[in-house]
Amino acid sequence: MSKPPVLRAENITKRYGKKVVLNNASLSICERELKILIGPSGSGKSTFLQCINFLVTPDRGRVWLDGREILRTHKRDLNAYRQKVGMIFQDFNLFDHLTALANVEIGLTRVRKMGKEEACEKAMQELDKVGLRDHIAKYPAQLSGGQKQRVSIARALAMDPEVMLLDEPTSALDPELITEVLAVIKDLRANGMTMIMSTHQLNFASEVADEIIFLEDGIIVEVGPPDKILYEPECERTIQFCSKMRELYGNSR
Amino acid sequence: MGEMDFIQNEVLPSLFEGLGTSILLIIPSAVFGLVIGVAIGVFRVFGNPLTEKLASTYVAIFRGFPLVVQLFIWYFGLPHLGIYFSPYTASIIGFSLCSGAYHSEYVRGALLSIKRGQLLAAQALGFTRTGTIVSVILPQALRRALPGCGNELIYLIKYSSLAYMITCIELTGKGKIIASETFKFTEIFMIIGIFYLVMTTIAGRLLQYVEFRLEIPGFEHYGA
Amino acid sequence: MIESLVILYGALPYLFRGVLVTVSLVVGAMGLGLLSGIALAVGQVYGTPWTRRLIGFYVWFFRGVPLIVLLFLFYFGLFTMLGINLSAFTASIIVLGLISAAYQSQIFRGAILSLPTGQLKAARALGMSDSRAIISIILPQALRLSVPGWSNEYSIVLKDSAVTYAVGVTEVMARAHFVASRTYEHLPLYFAAGVIFLMLTFLGTKGLRLLEDRVRIPGYVR
Repeated sequence: MSKPPVLRAENITKRYGKKVVLNNASLSICERELKILIGPSGSGKSTFLQCINFLVTPDRGRVWLDGREILRTHKRDLNAYRQKVGMIFQDFNLFDHLTALANVEIGLTRVRKMGKEEACEKAMQELDKVGLRDHIAKYPAQLSGGQKQRVSIARALAMDPEVMLLDEPTSALDPELITEVLAVIKDLRANGMTMIMSTHQLNFASEVADEIIFLEDGIIVEVGPPDKILYEPECERTIQFCSKMRELYGNSR
Repeated sequence: MGEMDFIQNEVLPSLFEGLGTSILLIIPSAVFGLVIGVAIGVFRVFGNPLTEKLASTYVAIFRGFPLVVQLFIWYFGLPHLGIYFSPYTASIIGFSLCSGAYHSEYVRGALLSIKRGQLLAAQALGFTRTGTIVSVILPQALRRALPGCGNELIYLIKYSSLAYMITCIELTGKGKIIASETFKFTEIFMIIGIFYLVMTTIAGRLLQYVEFRLEIPGFEHYGA
Repeated sequence: MIESLVILYGALPYLFRGVLVTVSLVVGAMGLGLLSGIALAVGQVYGTPWTRRLIGFYVWFFRGVPLIVLLFLFYFGLFTMLGINLSAFTASIIVLGLISAAYQSQIFRGAILSLPTGQLKAARALGMSDSRAIISIILPQALRLSVPGWSNEYSIVLKDSAVTYAVGVTEVMARAHFVASRTYEHLPLYFAAGVIFLMLTFLGTKGLRLLEDRVRIPGYVR
């Protein structure tokens, strides 16, 4: 763990009106790591992830990628930074007017200015990786939730990101579709993708995470390896949360 | 005589006179238009096949012909059949029938949006068919039709300016006459524009207020 | 009766040449309104507070003043005052277009606002600049949703175009009136003019419905 972190976020604070939704949250992640954010709904996980790539503008806080600080006021830098940080949303946010293939291509042609043919080839590869080669011509409205989320993963991967942020990628899915998306994420993990992910899937977290971050009311309560956070947490609130989640989703051990 | 004095002493009194005529065109046309619209709307939804057919033909023609064409038919065309109207009467007839056709579309849409259960519930209480329409369906439907009909009333204020084209000298007509004499088109039509803006803005505010007052608690966001 | 029909029949070619004028007016005005309307809508949704206020004022003005008043104001007033020499036809296209821009901007604005906010977020997350995202992601969707509203606007502009007769554009209405006042066959000629407009409305809205089907996104329901 002596390697320098790929991505570092420090003291991120976000208020909506008087409500502080994120209070001085920090994290850093090294290459090939997977860190998982857990915490009750409304605890600020989503805001945290969206503040990291400035989709939500933090009131305070700094972010570094590869040791370079991101100046969000500098539009060109910001757009270049976002290309290197892939984002997966809870509700997919596929571009509704484009086919699966075009959804993956558009970042390549419009942002990376890649030629049409090259972009098409690359998009096909990415869609193949997530198992959707047969669905490339379909529009988002013709795909199942799990397929949509896999297209959105392919769309992010096509940009060759250094880090991926996954904001509850399975929360909007029917239970039977969750596995196919988690399988893709495990694949990414096995191939060494650096990822920060928020989720309610504690079983999945305990299986694959290098570190779990427990967030509540906008504050990072506890950080540690899965075994510690999920089974021997120090804080009372972590204990309560984990036992509640276990009641809801069953025990993993 | 200075420019301002001229406008104040010569132009404005004349324009205010025209404004008076415009208002005398707008108010009766609005009332007749609404009455026609509600009647036709009800016929189209609750009438027999014949009245339905007649009503929709009426609506197709009066929404499909430009208003200028309609006004010309009433004023220049009907004398052909031996029927003569004054420019003022022809304008009121033209405006009322045309906006009635548009109102009826909103009324019809609103009537169709009322749930069938309302009709059944009223009948279960022993209401007659007419009684049900008048006391149960229309009060709900008219609230829903209000935003559309309100828009139509604002259109009517603007389209009342076309009366000038069949020689009913209202605000626009007065302006045209003075402007042609003085060649002060820009100034005069700017002032006239402001007159209309004031009218449409006041009407818009008034309609918002009426909509707000008639809101049924719990149904606030219907159709918004 | 027979005599009226003969006169009407003789006048038809002359009226139909007016259709070309009417159609050019409408196409020109709708086109001008489309381009400016898109710009106004984007400015009103994404612009600075001052841009929004300015656009709000524009829309309020052009939606609140009657067409005929604006025609007189621009054609006889402003254009002359500024020394811009335009034909009645061109001036009419501009005035109809400026008004239509105000109305169309509200159609597009409504459509943009109805899109889920996630669309813009996802575009930004890919590293798109806001202007790129608006062009490639927001507008293609918003314009599709605007077709029904646009079809409505078409039928309004078409009928409004008859008012340009007041400044001497020789469109359908003007021609009908010209023949009527020479032959005293007012009723049949105005009726014929009305039917021509009715047909143009029908054809135009039919065409736009075909367009709506063609650009519909498969499987997409709202």
